Amino acid sequence: MQSKLSDIELIEQTLAGSQAAYADLIKRHQRFVFTLAMRFVKVREDAEEVAQDCFIKAYRSLGSFQGQSKFSTWLYSIVYTTAMTFLRKKRVDTDSIDDEDTFIQVEERSSAYDVNDAENKSRSYYLNQAIGQLLPDDAAIITLFYKGEQSLEEIAQALGMEANTVKVKLFRARQRLKEKLEKNLKHEAKELI
Amino acid sequence: MNNIEETLWNYIDGNCTADEQKTISNLIAQDEAYRLRYQELLNLNKEFAAMETDEPSMAFTYNVMEVIRAENAQVPLKAAINKRIILGIAIFFAITLLAMLVVVLASVKWTGQSVHVNLPVNIKLPDINGSKAKTIVESFVFFDVILALYLFDAYLRKKNMAKQV
Repeated sequence: MQSKLSDIELIEQTLAGSQAAYADLIKRHQRFVFTLAMRFVKVREDAEEVAQDCFIKAYRSLGSFQGQSKFSTWLYSIVYTTAMTFLRKKRVDTDSIDDEDTFIQVEERSSAYDVNDAENKSRSYYLNQAIGQLLPDDAAIITLFYKGEQSLEEIAQALGMEANTVKVKLFRARQRLKEKLEKNLKHEAKELI
Repeated sequence: MNNIEETLWNYIDGNCTADEQKTISNLIAQDEAYRLRYQELLNLNKEFAAMETDEPSMAFTYNVMEVIRAENAQVPLKAAINKRIILGIAIFFAITLLAMLVVVLASVKWTGQSVHVNLPVNIKLPDINGSKAKTIVESFVFFDVILALYLFDAYLRKKNMAKQV
């Protein structure tokens, strides 16, 4: 059962030496941190490694958290930098990070394993598949906006961008997501026929 | 077309001023194209908002806490070294060395071609001009230089790691 205490209260308890409080904080945010990591690194095992690394880094620098922003915003900025470092370490060069086709290929290859599951063939499955085909930044912005309860300013803070840039990126990401969703659904309809 | 979409997304996100909101509301009510596009984006917005998040493995929290516990177990050893004591020792040595340097410099008699040191106490300084002593001194300096380079490299690596984190 998760604690009813606020993030700030849990942080205070953690700083006072309670590891149980930090475990509660992890349980509260792990799902979203993991999802966000998945948006960047695409592979489940890698995402788990990145997400774990984020919580360890957050614990180490918890004392430097000023409380001027939401804990989640601060945590997501750690996810962003950790995921970027991870991708660099994996020798994925900048060109391939920014190459949308790379992610389409990755997604198509990985989707071949799950596609037999009829339960997965729901609208939400196709939405997740389409998000997986987006560029990491676009996928992260969409996820932060819709699931992370983050405002444009908070997303900008987490990703180290200007709020206006995030606004433009969000608009473009939604357009691309819409296109990919339509494309995937059309492709599926053709296969069924 | 993009302009209509951009305006409508701003309207849906609530990023419009009151006047803009009123104008867009009227356009949606009067213009069929606007209304259809608005409805389409509204449905998409609902769909995006309903996206599911992924679940990490069952042992996720446990794994993180294990790493943290292991790290914390090492802390007492580090914490046992009181920084104040180290600072105190460093200050003591610095003052001693400074005092010795002042005494030596004060005892130096500078003449035209040579330098004579008259120490206040009768200390016999070792002869460093002998070949054996010279090799020892050079080896000592060489060792010091290598050690200094090694420590400087370790410091730079640590700094670089901290930057990456």
